This record gives sequence, structure tokens and C-alpha cells, in this order.
Amino acid sequence: MTVQSGKKPSATATKTNRRKMTQPRNNKGAGLSQAQLLEMYHLLLKCRLVDERARVLFRQGKFKGNHYSAVGQEAVTVGTLYGCQPSDWVGPSHRDMVAALVKGVPVKLIMAQLYACVDSPDRGKSTPAHFGSPEHNIITPASTIAAQWQLVTGVALGLKMQKREGICFAYAGDGATSTGAWHEAVNFAGVHKLGIIYVIQNNLWAESVPLRLQTAAKNLADKAVGYGMPGVVVDGMDLLAVHKAAQEAVRRARAGQGPTLIECKTYRWYGHSEIDPARYRSQEEVAAWKKRDPIPLFEKQLAELGISAGSVKKQFEDEINREIEEAVAAAEASPYPDPAEAWDHIYAE
Amino acid sequence: MPVMTYVQAVGRGLWEEMERDPAVLMIGEDIGVYGGAFKVTDGFLAHFGRERVIDTPISESAIVGAAVGMSYLGLRPVCELQFIDFIACCFNQITNFVAKSHYRWGAPVPMVIRGPAGGGVHGGPFHSQNPEMYFVHTPGLKVVCPSSAYDAKGLIKAAVRDNNPVLFFEHKFLYRRVKEEVPEDDYIVPLGQAAVRREGRDLTLVTYAAMVQVCLDAAEQLEKEDGLACEVIDLRTLLPLDKETILSSLRKTNKLLVVHEDTRTGGIAGEIAAMVMEEAFDQLDGPLMRVTSLDTPVPYSPPLEEYFLPNAAKVVKAARDLARY
Ligand SMILES: Cc1ncc(C[n+]2csc(CCOP(=O)(O)OP(=O)(O)O)c2C)c(N)n1
Ligand SMILES: [Mg+2]
Repeated sequence: MTVQSGKKPSATATKTNRRKMTQPRNNKGAGLSQAQLLEMYHLLLKCRLVDERARVLFRQGKFKGNHYSAVGQEAVTVGTLYGCQPSDWVGPSHRDMVAALVKGVPVKLIMAQLYACVDSPDRGKSTPAHFGSPEHNIITPASTIAAQWQLVTGVALGLKMQKREGICFAYAGDGATSTGAWHEAVNFAGVHKLGIIYVIQNNLWAESVPLRLQTAAKNLADKAVGYGMPGVVVDGMDLLAVHKAAQEAVRRARAGQGPTLIECKTYRWYGHSEIDPARYRSQEEVAAWKKRDPIPLFEKQLAELGISAGSVKKQFEDEINREIEEAVAAAEASPYPDPAEAWDHIYAE
Repeated sequence: MPVMTYVQAVGRGLWEEMERDPAVLMIGEDIGVYGGAFKVTDGFLAHFGRERVIDTPISESAIVGAAVGMSYLGLRPVCELQFIDFIACCFNQITNFVAKSHYRWGAPVPMVIRGPAGGGVHGGPFHSQNPEMYFVHTPGLKVVCPSSAYDAKGLIKAAVRDNNPVLFFEHKFLYRRVKEEVPEDDYIVPLGQAAVRREGRDLTLVTYAAMVQVCLDAAEQLEKEDGLACEVIDLRTLLPLDKETILSSLRKTNKLLVVHEDTRTGGIAGEIAAMVMEEAFDQLDGPLMRVTSLDTPVPYSPPLEEYFLPNAAKVVKAARDLARY
């Protein structure tokens, strides 16, 4: 991709769209260069466009199973993962297909996963939502909610034991915080001061269950207190705010100071999955959150920093759409694995 | 008689039990406003209220653990697991506590744990499994796997009334594909009784759940093409196992083919084989044979899943091999 580089973010940025949140208020551009900010913008658009394309493909019957759209939540994914290193690990949830994009995975591999064809990294063994790639340190999600939080706990412990480079990012929703798996993971990581950024995507709903039936706590980040680590609440629609909170957590993790729990208040625009009409929530609620679309919010922030998103948007979208269409065409052309491959890979050699 | 799908029949049975006995309650994820992921409890919340239709946090272990506690007060909780695969998350409560409660301190646990099992719907490794045998291996539990709408209603009602913990595995492939007349009366299908779905004298197919229809289709084909008369037994309950129905059919046909969608190793076929060795070895005119899913996880990619699952063609082939003895 091409981004204009060089120009430092304007120091005259005024008020950014931020609620009362517990993260630093200075440093409006989060210490990022113009090139970096535009790279984030590119990723934000990419997450959106790839996810929307996946929704259409599912509705067209191009792939089976289901799709769990993260549209509306892109600022959380990009804001937390942007700047991560190849040696860092990611434990995504069922809704984090697009996290792989931020980790540098080509769209082609994601589409291959959806189509469960021979080019998919798992050769069709697992479902569309379960993209994993050992090469990219992306752990394949398990459907059992919050399992990935325990897995990254072990990865982080191993990295520490072996004095290897790298930290871990784990993702889960608000509902996941009700599982035993979640609490065991966070407690364990706290005890061992592991280098983990635990990210809660609080989108207010776990399928049809509203947050108030999930927890009596005011903020999910409050749970961090019980496990001896900082808990941070951040506006999950505000890319820069998320990134700043994540960068502080990343600094702590790399410095061996232990894990951080970040709660991002966000919203999924669509149903739990493509087969859920989401009648349990009001149209007003959905409309109010759509007004806080993270993409125009970030465009506004860029403008305040003196960067015109408008001048690159079309070019970015064209680039991304070209990559998507090539990826879809490749997946369409790629055959299913031979049925007898069902027998393969049960055990390691 | 109203025509109902399998999934409606489960719901109808539960509804009637809630009407009949105020101690019966539903507990699980998304069962209230949403009416359950597969709509089994659709309309329950509005009719029975929040106290008896409890939407829980995502906490399978606590759902089962809490149900045990409620059962100690005389309540009769029915726990819904959104997909039966997630029963793994409450395995400890079920196998260590629920199953042993009465044995250890005489406290019965009248509860039902139910949810959608089985493959054939492109659900992949975590939304397609048949984990019944983990629990058939656990004394103190009962395990039920209905194949028809009539049975689904009658068995769920029997399960709710049983004073022991009953695991109720509904087959999601059948949920909306099975549609039949279901009586409106208050009837039950007793636990622990198999049903003969088709009579025959040449060989016996023993099966349950979604494989019942597969075996009936195979039996039809074998009759037409080979003149073979297959008896088809639907186990309905795996624990306790209705040995007598199996053995009396074996005495007639002297040949047994067990068909299950569960994977091969450790499946009920092995248990039935051992039981037959112990109790009716001299009745066998051929080896006990089995058609099962592969000993692999349930693969997602459609042609792989199709290859993984048993089907009528595989049953026909095995039955022909067995008939040759
Ligand atoms: C152990 C377990 N229980 C239940 C489910 C079914 N399920 C899948 S996603 C989901 C809701 C998850 O909500 P949340 O954690 O808030 O994540 P979101 O879907 O909102 O991103 C549920 C109940 C599951 N996958 N695993
Ligand atoms: Mg949620």
C-alpha cells in the first residue's frame, strides 16, 4: 500500500471524541507519524470491507457454517493490535476473523478459510470463524468461549520461561467474562506477571443476553482488581484512545510488569451471526451506535491532526477491494480437499 | 392430531411439564427473550415468567451446579446447553457431582440436561459432536437420544419426571427435518425401552437418533434389491440399555449390525458387542459388525463431513457383508 509519509501530526488537534475514560488525555495523535496513522486507517477500512464481503458471501451461500461479523468493532481490533511484532501472539475469539489482517495475513488466506478449500490453512478441518496460522502466531479459536484466554496464558508463560521475545493479545466478548475459563486464565496470568494484553470487546450483548444479565459489575474492567492487574476502560469506537490504552499495556507487558485488562466499549452492528435477526435489541439502540461508526470518527480525528482521509479513501478502498476480489476468485477456483483427508493430521508425525 | 417438528415436540413436552408441575423450570443461555438458539423454549418466558425461565450468564458449569442446588429444594430444573458440545464445560459437575450425589449422600438430583447434538449440518468440530458415551460411562446418569417427534415429546416428559439426572441429546439434524403427527395427550415414553421400527428375520440393525432413518432407508433398499428382511431397533435410551429388545431380535435374526453416528472407538457398538458375547454368544451366525463415524474430529469442509458420517450406502454395504455369513 502507499501512504504519504513524513508529515508529523499537527499539534493543533483539538477535542477528540472521547468520553470520560481512564487513559491519558495528552498526545492526541498517540505518538504516531502520519504514515502510521494512515496505515491504521487503511487497516480500519480493510477490516470493514473484508467483513462486509464475508457477510455477502455467506448470504449468497458461498460458504456454509456461519459468519460472526465484527463490523462496528474494528477500532478495537486495529487499535490494540496495530504495531504488534511478528513474534507476538494473538488468541482471537469467534468474532475476530479480521484480527488476522492486522497481523499481516493476506485476504487470500482468510477467504480460503471461509471456503474450506485446499488452500485454507487447516485444509477445511475447522469452521470459517476459526482461522489460525502457526506462521503468524495466531491461535485457532475454539468455540468454547474464552478458551483462548487460557491458551495465551500458557504461551506467555512459555515465552517468559524461554526468555523469548514476544507478548500475547487475547480477545473475548463481554459474555466470555462469565466463564470459569476466563477467570482462571486472568488469575493465573496475574500471579505469574505474564506479558498479556487481555482485551474485552464489550459490545453489550452476548447473543440475546444483555450485559445486565451477564454481570452486576459496573465495568468489566473492574474484574482486574481481583486479579492484581490494571483494568482500563476505553471507548472502543475511538481508534486512537484504544491504541493509547493498548500501547501502555504493551509497554508493561514488554517490560515484564505483567498483564493488563482492557475493556473496550463497542457494539456489533449486526446480529450475533448472519442467521440472527437480533430482534432482542431496539432499532434506536442500533442507530445510536451506528452514529458512532469508528471509521468517520477516525476520519474526524485525522482531520483534526491535519490529515485528509478523503484524499486517500478511494485509493485505499480500491486497493483493498482489488485484493478481496482476487482472494474471492482464488477461493472460488480452489477445490475442496479430497474427502479422505478427513483422516489426516489427527496425530503429529 | 397436530403435526409437529421434532424441535417443536421437545418444546411441547417441556411446556406440558411446566404446566403440570410448578417445580419444573428452565435454565440456560438465551432461552428467555430469544427462546433458545433453536427456539425450543420459544414463548416460554412470556407464559411462565422470569422465575421459571432463567436466562443465565455464559456459565455452563454454574448452570449445572445451580440446578443441582435447586433440585435439593424439590425443584426440577431443565438445563439447556446451547450446543451439546459445550457439555465439556460442565463435565466436572456432571460426572463428579450430579452422577454421584445420590450414591454419596442419598440426595437425589431430579434434573435434565438437554441440548442439540450431532452432525450433518456443517457445524464443524465444536457444533456437531456426539458426546453421549462419556456419560454412558458414568453410573448414576441416564442418557436419552430420541429419533422421532413422538418420542421426543414422550421421552422429555419422562426425563423431567425421573428422579435421577437425565442427559437428553436432541439431534439437530432432525430438529426441522422430522415432522409428524404428535398426540396432544399427556403421554410419556418410558426411559430404558427400545423400539422395533421395522420387523425382519434376516438381520438386525441396532441404532439410535439420526441414524434410525438412515437404517430404515438402508433396510428398504436391502429388501428391494436383495430380498433381505432387516429388523431395525431404535435404542432411544442408551443408559440404561434395553438389552432384552436387542437380544430377542438377535435370537430371531442371529445377525447384528450396530450403526451409530458417534465415532467408532468407545461407541455404544463396542458395548453392545461385549454384552452379546456375554449373554448370547451362541446366537451369532456372523460377527457383530458396526457402521460408525470415523475416529476423527468432525471435519467442517462439506465433502469431508460427508465422508466422515455414516449413510445408507455404507449401511447397505455392511449389511450385505454380514448377510453372506
Ligand atoms: C462454552 C460456550 N457456551 C456457549 C457458547 C455459545 N455462544 C457462542 S458465542 C456466545 C455469546 C458470546 O458473547 P460475547 O462473549 O459477549 O461475545 P460476542 O459474541 O458478543 O462477540 C455464546 C453464548 C459457546 N460458544 N461456548
Ligand atoms: Mg458480546
